Amino acid sequence: MDFAFTSDQQLLRNSARAFLDEHCKPATVRLLWDDPRGESDTMWKEIAQLGWLGLSLPEAYGGSGLGMVETALLLEEMGRAAYPGPYWPTALAATAIELGGSEVHKKRWLAAFATGDARATIAFLDAELDWRPEAARTRAEKTGKGWALSGQKRFVPWAHVADVLLVPAQGPDGLTLFMVDPSAAGLTLEPVPVMDLATRLVNVTLDKTPVAADAVLGAPGHGGPLLAALLRRGAVGAAAEMLGAARRCLDMAVGYAKVREQFGQPIGSFQAIRHKCAEMLLEVENSHSAVYYAAWALDAKAEDAELAASVAKAYVGDAARKVCGEAIQVHGGIGFTWEYDLHLYMKRAKALEPMYGDGDYHRELILRRVAA
Amino acid sequence: MDLTPTAEERAFRADVRRWLGANVPRDDLKTLDERKAWHRKLYEAGYVGMLWPTEYGGWGRAPMQQAIVQDEMARLSAPPPINGLGIGFIGPTIIVHGTDWQKQRYLRKMLTAEEIWCQLYSEPNAGSDLASLKTRAEDQGDHFLVNGQKIWTSSGPIADWGILLARTDPKVAKHKGISCLLLNMRQPGVEVRPLKQITGSSLFSEVFMTDARAEPRDLIGGLNRGWEIAQTTLGWERGANSLGRVTRYAIAFNQLVRATKELRRGGKPLLEDPAVRAKLGKAYAELEVQRYAALRVLSALQNSDSPGAASSITKLSYTEFEKRYFELALEILGPYGQLISAREEFEEIDTSSGEPGTWATAFLWSRAGTIYSGSSEIQKNIIGERVLGLPKEVRADRLKA
Repeated sequence: MDFAFTSDQQLLRNSARAFLDEHCKPATVRLLWDDPRGESDTMWKEIAQLGWLGLSLPEAYGGSGLGMVETALLLEEMGRAAYPGPYWPTALAATAIELGGSEVHKKRWLAAFATGDARATIAFLDAELDWRPEAARTRAEKTGKGWALSGQKRFVPWAHVADVLLVPAQGPDGLTLFMVDPSAAGLTLEPVPVMDLATRLVNVTLDKTPVAADAVLGAPGHGGPLLAALLRRGAVGAAAEMLGAARRCLDMAVGYAKVREQFGQPIGSFQAIRHKCAEMLLEVENSHSAVYYAAWALDAKAEDAELAASVAKAYVGDAARKVCGEAIQVHGGIGFTWEYDLHLYMKRAKALEPMYGDGDYHRELILRRVAA
Repeated sequence: MDLTPTAEERAFRADVRRWLGANVPRDDLKTLDERKAWHRKLYEAGYVGMLWPTEYGGWGRAPMQQAIVQDEMARLSAPPPINGLGIGFIGPTIIVHGTDWQKQRYLRKMLTAEEIWCQLYSEPNAGSDLASLKTRAEDQGDHFLVNGQKIWTSSGPIADWGILLARTDPKVAKHKGISCLLLNMRQPGVEVRPLKQITGSSLFSEVFMTDARAEPRDLIGGLNRGWEIAQTTLGWERGANSLGRVTRYAIAFNQLVRATKELRRGGKPLLEDPAVRAKLGKAYAELEVQRYAALRVLSALQNSDSPGAASSITKLSYTEFEKRYFELALEILGPYGQLISAREEFEEIDTSSGEPGTWATAFLWSRAGTIYSGSSEIQKNIIGERVLGLPKEVRADRLKA
């Protein structure tokens, strides 16, 4: 039993931090706020070269074959940098194709993801905002050539830059996960600006949008378990990113408490501030335990992997919100200004809190497992 | 990073489970002799003094193995060894700071529970500010004359010996004039008065010392070195109870779920109430995080990273969780949660306090955790100063010194 990172994992974290400190400074993030795409193609190609985009893909498709622990390490660092871009939606869609795609699909997409030549996302939510996969309301009808999809998908991360959209819909055989070409007829994308300007969410409307007969991941009607697995993985990744954002907020709060003076003393010497910082550290450390336990459990296919994923998402969502909020409180007025960078991280954590299943959804999943 | 138990850990756990299954007493231990006999049996099986070096009669085991034993004991609600404080930190204090004579004289009888030990640290006016303690030990040449009062002493009435912090030099700064002495509790100058706590029972005592006598050979680690000795050994627990504690929470959770199936509201089991479900789900998430954190602590100990001040995070985390947890249980159970004698199965739980109890007892006991062994506020000071490196506060007593 060993909870410590291996030296390779340490190395990955260090190189990720070094790269993001250099290439994803707060000023870089701010510049991209006004960019219509919201991401930098240069940065995307650079992280492809670093091997991040193929990190968890099989080596046969140009990936490194690493696991969720390594992915979580990257995502934590991205949260710490408030990284703007479709890394996690693309990596998750890649996993979907790896798990449910045919050999043709894998050849077509996986290598392109690893080299940074393609982006993707999964449209989990319908208009009802119900995270249960079976709650999808989008319809898939059989046509002469394949399928036609109609429905509304809400808050799809980075759909406007995706080369392929993964869309769950109810077909004649039941819930099915389709691969949809974003330029297909009847498909419209409507960006919906949210408070984290470095997170891009898009409403997707499908009106008899044509989909090829073979553009199905897994067997038609069997999309439920695949989507549940993707949601779990997505939840652990989001938890890792929230952890990174929270740790950045904690670091900034502690740094500020050491130098900011009031009443002739650093405010960190006051118990009111110091105790707040100690409570924030407690939440960050517990979140670390939750994220990496869950990531390991997914990799090891541990029997409590599903439980651990829900625990991580539910716990870290609450913890990160608290830590980031308290960081603003420790800073006082400056933490409320647009110029100060704290809100970049606070907003990132908040943006991820409702995604991949919100706290209520995962708490209910937890209870179903332990109180049958 | 690999959290799979090793083959050795699994085999060890299986051995422990087998042994406990065959040996855990079926009835409550009623007398002192019965409790000492159980302690001795645990010791002879290799389950007490596990972290002590073999040269002092211990078993030289790893923190993980000790945690597995406690975990398996929690699973069966097995009674704890009677000399827990002695084994957990007084013995290790003697091992680290004591003389050869002290080791010869005290350690073996501590391990076998022939002699029971207690701790004489806190005073009515020296709680969080322990260094302000007033009990005096005056050097009379051939002995120390001890006068003062201690409080919150566990096992007071059954203790044969106590580890005492007393002032030996009142003229220097408060933490520089304290010595650590071993005190014979069986002498006329020592009076133990049980203290009734909010649970209604008396697991703690007040101890009054009036011209009591401590021998010079029982001074630990030199005159006026008591404060540093107390500082180095308070964190000796080494994750012993980390897994067992969570197992107790999980057992209580299952009982709470059973209760919400039996209790009904609006014609339906309470468990079907969405508000109750949300609360239970949140509590279980926190409980699981305590388990992951425990594994992380044990892993760090195994890799011989001493947890140091980070153990303050662990203590703060589980004691605060425990309060929220039992507050929630009582909220869900309503008046059933406040019963002080159990009639139904779901009303009685293992409070881990050594007294059998109900949810009410567990709820009341949870208030103690954030006060003893350094209150939550003290833990946060330690975390702030020693982990986060925040500046020390300006304190009135430091200004004077």
